[in-house]
Amino acid sequence: MFRSLCCIVLLSLVAAFSGCDTKIEQFDPNQVYSMTLARSRAIPMDAALQDASEATDSLFGTPNDPRWPTEFLDESLADLVDSARLVQAAGPVLSLQDGTQQGLYREHCAVCHGLSGSGNGPASMVQNPYPRDFRHGLFKWKSTARSERPTRDDLIERIRHGIAGTAMPAYPLISNDELDAIVDYVIYLSIRGEVERDLLSAAVDEMGYEEEVPEDELRLKVPASVGEDSLTEGNEVTLEILNEVAQEWADAEQYVVEVPSPTVAKPTESELTESIERGRKLFHGQIANCVGCHDEDGLGQTITLDYDDWSKEYSSRIGLTPSDSVDMKPFLDAGAMMPRQIKPRTLKDGIFHGGGDAETLYRRIVQGIAGTPMPGIEVVAIESHQGLTVDQVWNLIRYVQSFASDENQETANESR
Amino acid sequence: MNTELKDTVPRSSTIVHRLAVLTVVLTWPLIWVGGLVTTYDAGMAVPDWPNTYGYNLFLYPYKTWLLGPFDLFIEHGHRLLGALVGFTAIGLVISAAMTEERRWVKILSAIILLLVIIQGGLGGIRVMLSDRVFAMIHGSTAPIVFAIATAGAVVTSRWWKQLSVANHVAVAPDNQAPHNHENANSGMAIPSAGTITVISVLLIVCFTQLVLGAKIRHLQPTDSPSWFLYTVWAHVITAFLIWLLTAVVWRQLRGSSDFSVSRPGIILVALTAVQILLGIVSWVVNYGWPSFLQWFPGASGHLIESKNYVDALLVTAHVAIGPLILAVSTVALLRILRVRYLSRHSFQ
Repeated sequence: MFRSLCCIVLLSLVAAFSGCDTKIEQFDPNQVYSMTLARSRAIPMDAALQDASEATDSLFGTPNDPRWPTEFLDESLADLVDSARLVQAAGPVLSLQDGTQQGLYREHCAVCHGLSGSGNGPASMVQNPYPRDFRHGLFKWKSTARSERPTRDDLIERIRHGIAGTAMPAYPLISNDELDAIVDYVIYLSIRGEVERDLLSAAVDEMGYEEEVPEDELRLKVPASVGEDSLTEGNEVTLEILNEVAQEWADAEQYVVEVPSPTVAKPTESELTESIERGRKLFHGQIANCVGCHDEDGLGQTITLDYDDWSKEYSSRIGLTPSDSVDMKPFLDAGAMMPRQIKPRTLKDGIFHGGGDAETLYRRIVQGIAGTPMPGIEVVAIESHQGLTVDQVWNLIRYVQSFASDENQETANESR
Repeated sequence: MNTELKDTVPRSSTIVHRLAVLTVVLTWPLIWVGGLVTTYDAGMAVPDWPNTYGYNLFLYPYKTWLLGPFDLFIEHGHRLLGALVGFTAIGLVISAAMTEERRWVKILSAIILLLVIIQGGLGGIRVMLSDRVFAMIHGSTAPIVFAIATAGAVVTSRWWKQLSVANHVAVAPDNQAPHNHENANSGMAIPSAGTITVISVLLIVCFTQLVLGAKIRHLQPTDSPSWFLYTVWAHVITAFLIWLLTAVVWRQLRGSSDFSVSRPGIILVALTAVQILLGIVSWVVNYGWPSFLQWFPGASGHLIESKNYVDALLVTAHVAIGPLILAVSTVALLRILRVRYLSRHSFQ
């Protein structure tokens, strides 16, 4: 009786209020990249976008029902992402009586990174820098070579410890299982996004998509079943792209940049002071030329007029002015973010977004920062104008790290 | 010609007032816990309603509740506290029906109970449909319930009745009207109609602000970034508008010799100041320091910690102070209306 009464009251209230949750049935197609290609290739992309989106959805499922296309992947790639973890990370937020959390991505990530990992979640515009768009497969903070994918540990590190000075929080309280589920989902979204982008490129560059779709043989489609005998060329290209993208993620561990020890691994105080001084000279010198962007003593006041690669793709690289809102409007309407000038980091305050430990700084100096104008520098065996030796890189590291200790010292002095 | 007051001396037992106050006192923590539920995204920690994991709400094993996951602890606790508020509201209706002479107060107590039931129902819909829009509506209507419950406490208060008695006794035998806009009995300044207008506007703006806040707190993954940006700006501008309005209210009420009338003004100014501060804190702990505040010491290295307990409490405090401002504005409005009503009818 009580239950029935409750139901009646509830139904009346439902009738009284309109406007339930927006239905989340599928991922948004990547219209920004489609428009970018349309402009750069001067080809209408509607047909290509339609087929690429359908193929991507068919491979990867929906935000509420994600799937890992194990059946279409090489055996070695099948375990790259765990399907059960994907289910835990996807869908609406829910917690079970035993404390198991579901919908982890929407709970922790989607508000900034967006449902499809496009980096344009509802809270994205109020952040500087913008949240990462996973769909490029391009990540800044990683231990691997500049052009490679990050390792799982890199992603875990970023999520667990956050990025100081940005809106990316640290998640010290979530369990390791939950963290693994989120990492799997981020990899899944990234691979999904990369596959979609590659399909769009292949559609116009290889398969002959124009205003109309090409003949059936060339249409980008996922085969109905794994054992299908006669795959069309479109099927083969689709699966080839899927496997290539997944393979890059699987290979990430191979591209971890080794960090050689300096000649003097444990310097005395005077050796350290000398090393810092040598680093200071390198910082302001012509070979490393850090001062060119980071300013004298890392003050970061230099004015530069550059943008990150995510923004450049739909602006300067296709002949549009990033700061021109009229140029950018169609892209903004399609979900792109208004390009913002990228500013060299102020190092003087001792805050390093990607981490301030020596290994991380070594990789940062040698590889640069992917997706940004921060270049890497070649490591050479003997001192020359071609690059820096390992010891010189270490001198730079010690100089840059001295900013953090200076900052701590100043803080300590203030508190006395 | 001495006509009697239309509003005769209200008689009701103190139990009505005590229950009305208890309803208010319990509703505020209920809003706090509800805010925590949203802060911790625990709205779906219990997937069924009105039961809790198949158990009757009151029979759910207390050990599982107290020692289980934190999400479950706050969501089930929110429901239990809600039920307690419901029982208190039922008590209020019964006691008002039995002891209260004023019919409109009886109706008001019934309205309070009805609103509590509807509020609970909205929470139930949020769970049964797993719908964040209803979570937002549930969060937006809670301050209305709180404000109406506060109204119940005000109209059953001793001040309300004493003022009535005083005026009743003070009806001038020679039918002299009061001068200088002052109540003949107490000598207190009578707030102008303009003050009522300002407080009414304040109430409307306050509620709008609470809805904006609820929208910001219940973001949907599909919401547009630019829409969110506009909502945030509207929330910020409205906050300062409210502060301005509270300053006007304070200025207009400070002349009153009756603290019950003048005090809400300064309380409103102070609460809004605290609220703005908490709003900035809430933003910083959720999204980091905004660009224009990067000069603040420590801003460039600030690390946001997801679901940090202290941060969660600060954010939830911001959620709870909003309804408090609405409630204090309601108190101010009702007291002014009372004073004006009595001053008008005392000398007819």
